[in-house]
Amino acid sequence: MRFARKASHALPGLLGVVAFLGAWQLIGVYRLAGFTWPPLTTVIAYLADPAHHTLLARAAAASFSSVGIGYGLGLLIGLAIAMLVRIIRPAREGIDQLVAVIHATPAIALAPVFMVILPRDAIPAAISALAVFYLVYVATTSGLESAHRAHQDLFSVLGASPFSRFARLELPAALPSIVSGLKLAVPVAFMGAIVGEWFGASRGLGLLMISGMQNFQIPMLWSAVLLATLTSLVAYGLMGLAERGVQQRYGQ
Amino acid sequence: MTGIRRFFARNWSILAVIAAWQAWVTIAELNSIVLPGPLPVARDIATNPGLYLANAAQTLAVSASGLVIGFALGILVAVLAWCSRLLSGMLTPIGLIFSSIPIVALIPILARILGYDISTVVAIVAVSAFFPTFVFAGAGLNDLPRGAPDLFAVFGASRIQRFYRLVLPSAVPNMMIALRLIVPESVLAAILAEFLMGRSGLGFLFREATGRFAMERALGTSLVAAVTAIICFFLAQRAERAVKARWS
Repeated sequence: MRFARKASHALPGLLGVVAFLGAWQLIGVYRLAGFTWPPLTTVIAYLADPAHHTLLARAAAASFSSVGIGYGLGLLIGLAIAMLVRIIRPAREGIDQLVAVIHATPAIALAPVFMVILPRDAIPAAISALAVFYLVYVATTSGLESAHRAHQDLFSVLGASPFSRFARLELPAALPSIVSGLKLAVPVAFMGAIVGEWFGASRGLGLLMISGMQNFQIPMLWSAVLLATLTSLVAYGLMGLAERGVQQRYGQ
Repeated sequence: MTGIRRFFARNWSILAVIAAWQAWVTIAELNSIVLPGPLPVARDIATNPGLYLANAAQTLAVSASGLVIGFALGILVAVLAWCSRLLSGMLTPIGLIFSSIPIVALIPILARILGYDISTVVAIVAVSAFFPTFVFAGAGLNDLPRGAPDLFAVFGASRIQRFYRLVLPSAVPNMMIALRLIVPESVLAAILAEFLMGRSGLGFLFREATGRFAMERALGTSLVAAVTAIICFFLAQRAERAVKARWS
């Protein structure tokens, strides 16, 4: 019974996705958007063709390792700085301002600075890390404040040290917020890596997109975009599951 | 005096970054081809105000028009979805799918479909503004204040009255959140599209400067782009807070 109800809830959504894919196919087959919009089947055929596997696999490996490194670095730096302003409170306002300014700055504006500091192939991971850092920092600082007043008072009465208060009360209370931030950071990490590759990386899906766009290699362009977006979608879904688990265990 | 102190309390970090930049250039004895200091960059902006202004104005105009189109369409489609359960069930997952992928990846595709043209930049900005607006506005339309629906039912409000007097107003704070999110995204999308297609605007200026290693020009463009985006972001944040204060 429960399964049947779940299925009837998911049915319109499934219908929507099928309609979307069907529209993609029809527009492609009948050239409604010109010849630069390939049918879905053409893109799938391109992805499935073993002749392209080396190219796609190498590009995907480069891009996804940038995403992974950026995601990990952004998480670590975001957590570290959020905890630092928790300890040194007067610094918080200034750091918040700087973080907001960095976030509002278009990634492209930071590219020349990165070009000076880093080798070209490290730029995708750096831009990705910066974008992830912002979300993790905001999620952590707001999460650390979410511990209940009553619990705070209890810890004070029992004479908890600042460290044990942090480890046993504030951090667990912040976890749901941090994991939500990490879920939202998934597409952002991909965005950072792709944009970073546009500034002259030597390999990666972002590079395939550019060369596909400039040389009218339409199936290659769409395949590169589809690979990047599908991977982001799957990773986002997995983080959504993790988020649900954490909410049940630590949520209030 | 307190005004100055407030300014430093809030902006010391920004000043520290500029000081660190100058220090780095001085200590490492970098020449201006590798990395010019803050002063030469400021000088390039001051001596070519027309060039920077014209391109910044164009980028801003393109971002603004794309943002307005995407924002309006996002709200419109969210309202349509609110009217029909089937439509809402069909569109919500698509909205979620598009908000969990890097939208910038669609820029090359859209550029190729629509051609290298300024209207394409507007379309790209509109697409990147549409999805967050649709998702947030949709959530706002379905999230009514507790007890309000009963009140409206008791007073026998028609569906249309209910929509105008209750559902739409209660979604406004959410729409403002969407606006704050899409403002920096729109500026970024516009600059990236200009960068890739290379026609005009700040993105093009940047591409042209990095192409011939004119680092003062490249950093000047970065600075102007950053300041433009930051001003837009803080205006959007302020608007969101003002609406929030009046609305709840």
